[in-house]
Amino acid sequence: MSEPAVAVIGVTKIFPVPFQRRSVVALRDLTLRVSPGQIYGLLGPNGSGKSTTLKIILGLVPPTKGRAEIFGKDSNLVASREAVGFLPESPYFHKYLTGEETLRFHGKLGGLRGAALKNRVEELLALVGLTNARKRRLGGYSKGMLQRIGLAQALVHEPALVVLDEPTAGVDPAGAGEIRDLILHLKERGITVLLSSHLLGQVQEICDRVGILANGVLVREGALDDLLGIENQTELVLENASPELLGEIETLASKRGARVLDRRRPRTSLERVFLEATESPREQTRRDTP
Amino acid sequence: MMRVFVVLISVALFGVAKLPAEHALAKAHRDLHFRDVDFNLGLREQIGQLGFVAALSGFRSLVADGLFIQAHVAWERTEWGRVLLLFRQVTTLQPRVILFWDMAAWHMAWNASTAAINNPAQPRLALRIKAQREYFALGKDFLERGIRNNPERPQLYEALGRLYRDKYIDHEHAAEFFGKGAALPEAPSYLKRFAAYELSQCPGHEREAYDRLHALYASGENERLPTLLRRLKEMEIKLDIPLDQRIPDRLP
Amino acid sequence: MIRPRHRAFSLGRIVAITGNTLTELTRLKVFYVLLLFALVLIGTSIFMAQLTFQQEFQVVKDIALGAMSIFTSLLAVVTTARLLPQEIEDRTIYTILAKPVPRVEYLLGKLLGVLLLLALSIIAMGALFFIVLYLREQTVLYETTRQMSTAPPEQMADALRAVRASAFSAGLLPGIAIIYVKACLLASLTLFVSTFATTTVFTTVVMVFVYFIGHLQGIAREYWLQNNSAGWITKSLLALVALLFPDLQLFNRTDDIIAGNAIPLALFLKTATLGLFYTGFYLLLAWSLFFRKEL
Ligand SMILES: Nc1ncnc2c1ncn2[C@@H]1O[C@H](COP(=O)(O)OP(=O)(O)O)[C@@H](O)[C@H]1O
Ligand SMILES: [Mg+2]
Repeated sequence: MSEPAVAVIGVTKIFPVPFQRRSVVALRDLTLRVSPGQIYGLLGPNGSGKSTTLKIILGLVPPTKGRAEIFGKDSNLVASREAVGFLPESPYFHKYLTGEETLRFHGKLGGLRGAALKNRVEELLALVGLTNARKRRLGGYSKGMLQRIGLAQALVHEPALVVLDEPTAGVDPAGAGEIRDLILHLKERGITVLLSSHLLGQVQEICDRVGILANGVLVREGALDDLLGIENQTELVLENASPELLGEIETLASKRGARVLDRRRPRTSLERVFLEATESPREQTRRDTP
Repeated sequence: MMRVFVVLISVALFGVAKLPAEHALAKAHRDLHFRDVDFNLGLREQIGQLGFVAALSGFRSLVADGLFIQAHVAWERTEWGRVLLLFRQVTTLQPRVILFWDMAAWHMAWNASTAAINNPAQPRLALRIKAQREYFALGKDFLERGIRNNPERPQLYEALGRLYRDKYIDHEHAAEFFGKGAALPEAPSYLKRFAAYELSQCPGHEREAYDRLHALYASGENERLPTLLRRLKEMEIKLDIPLDQRIPDRLP
Repeated sequence: MIRPRHRAFSLGRIVAITGNTLTELTRLKVFYVLLLFALVLIGTSIFMAQLTFQQEFQVVKDIALGAMSIFTSLLAVVTTARLLPQEIEDRTIYTILAKPVPRVEYLLGKLLGVLLLLALSIIAMGALFFIVLYLREQTVLYETTRQMSTAPPEQMADALRAVRASAFSAGLLPGIAIIYVKACLLASLTLFVSTFATTTVFTTVVMVFVYFIGHLQGIAREYWLQNNSAGWITKSLLALVALLFPDLQLFNRTDDIIAGNAIPLALFLKTATLGLFYTGFYLLLAWSLFFRKEL
């Protein structure tokens, strides 16, 4: 299937600044394609135009020039939103609704009714681990819980594409990890994911493909491996290797015309240290607790 | 900018379309005596800028009630000039409320006039009587204007009849207004009787009074009240009605 | 996955948004307004003890219906004015409009939520008003019966009829219905203003002006249509008011109804229809601006 899940074609967005002659160019001639089944990361510093791009894809903001499509349907058409779920940047929901009511409400907007709606809500509450918090008002949810209910809300009408604006921003590493796991789970189920982030580290492990925005221009784009891999270098990680063995490898390498550039101990990431240190005591309480 | 223009144009076009409907509706309401108040400059000076604006913006009845309550307080303090002024405003604001005309006239012709004739500050009787007469006239004026605004309601005719009967002792006019009131569809049954009683006291109208009283008498047991019987007997005597045509003598 | 084709218009979605809006509004404690109404009603009833029953009923009706008119108008403007800004500020509008929900359905759902709230409020106020009126009527009837126990039955009947006539009249119901229609019109107009306003305060201020000018529109219109001698500046000013503003005075029929003039059904229906036309038109305008609004 060749039809892209998302196509952004030559989009320019200019925001007028009220009461001034000046205007802000948020996006400049942006073209972007997301293939079905991929996790696509839109990266860039704050103010680079990520949110604007996503809003144009969802038809929330009309582009000044160009157009966007979802599975071949123009974003201006309401019907294009059938196949997409959206998690806005730091989403807020109606504080007076419980988690379950929030999902029911959005499910109805997505066209679900009756038993189908009920089952779907159950399923999603279980998926995002909020079954025990279902009867609590969102006013009392933690940031991570809100992000998860937001994700569930985006999935309620079983879209083939989800668009997530900064899904891990402001969430602690454990919460971010859970959200990453959820995103990978979506990919397994064949759902295309388009996400944005200004924290590269948080998403680089899960993205298949990334685009880097700077000042509204797509400066880099490609598969993650291609972007990060250095063509002519390979990393070996050995366990229990003696200094003699390492010497032999080095000699062998130079015999064959290769060269060992660097020898170092791999370091675990700080994030992993944090997670291991905090995991055990939090394990029983972290779910459903702010 | 373009859109603002388009929106303004559509509002104006809708305005053109709705104008005849609004005009016709307003007229229909007016024709039904849903008369809107004539907001003249005088009223604005009387009730003040704030009250005037409020009265214009749909709070007319509330402004009128406020003034009415003030009038009530002024009455308790026997400040008659203030009572008069306030009732003029109240009736201007709410010309369709019978009660306000009735109250205004009653305060003038009954309360203020009594106070005037008993005014200890005025030693000269002639002047006291003159003042009393003026208050009668003010009461009469309220009722006449009230009737002009509400010609289909019997209450103010009745009040005017009472004013002529009790204050001016003018039976002829009293009979006239009781009669006018009695002719209206909403009239209470006693107005016809009142009109006939008054007529029976007007010299020269004995025959007509007798006929009316007799007709009432003939209309059933309900009408045969002691006063009616007494007046009817008086007329029989005055007119020398033959004995066999007279009503049976049931008076003690 | 098999998915039913997208429906361009869905009552279910509108009902969902309406329900959501109503829930939101009821949790805003707007019903304190009803409490205030009850206090006003009870307050006047206490004061009324010094007046005769006709005066009392007149004033109670004036004040109750006047308060109903003010409170529903106020409720309509204040609740509608913050509807869109609040949703945009809370960013809840993004998740809603990112679903396959046409914007016109969103606006309609929001407006219906407000109209439902207004209906509930006016029903509650009306019920309270009728209960107070009924209780006072019964008291006065009882007192009259006692005071006139020696009078002839015909006079007694007359007096009781007078009491009943000055308390209840069926004409009050269409009067209250028209108050509601006026509130609907104001809510819809507020929604329209809020689609281009930048702040809630701006919307509210605009609506206060509209409210006052709307009540003068009738005078301006009649003057413009009849008077040919006015200068062209005056005439264009009057025409502008007559064309751009609704005649709100048409929806103030309670004064006359309290005075005892029943409003004929046909006239009532025409007035209500005009109000609903206005409501629909302003919704359409709101949609035309909201259709491609940047969020
Ligand atoms: N509604 C708006 N009005 C004016 N300028 C805006 C608006 N939304 C975004 N911008 C501007 O567009 C640029 C891109 O913003 P955004 O897409 O939110 O960036 P990011 O999500 O990458 O942080 C910024 O300079 C921002 O100030
Ligand atoms: Mg952003």
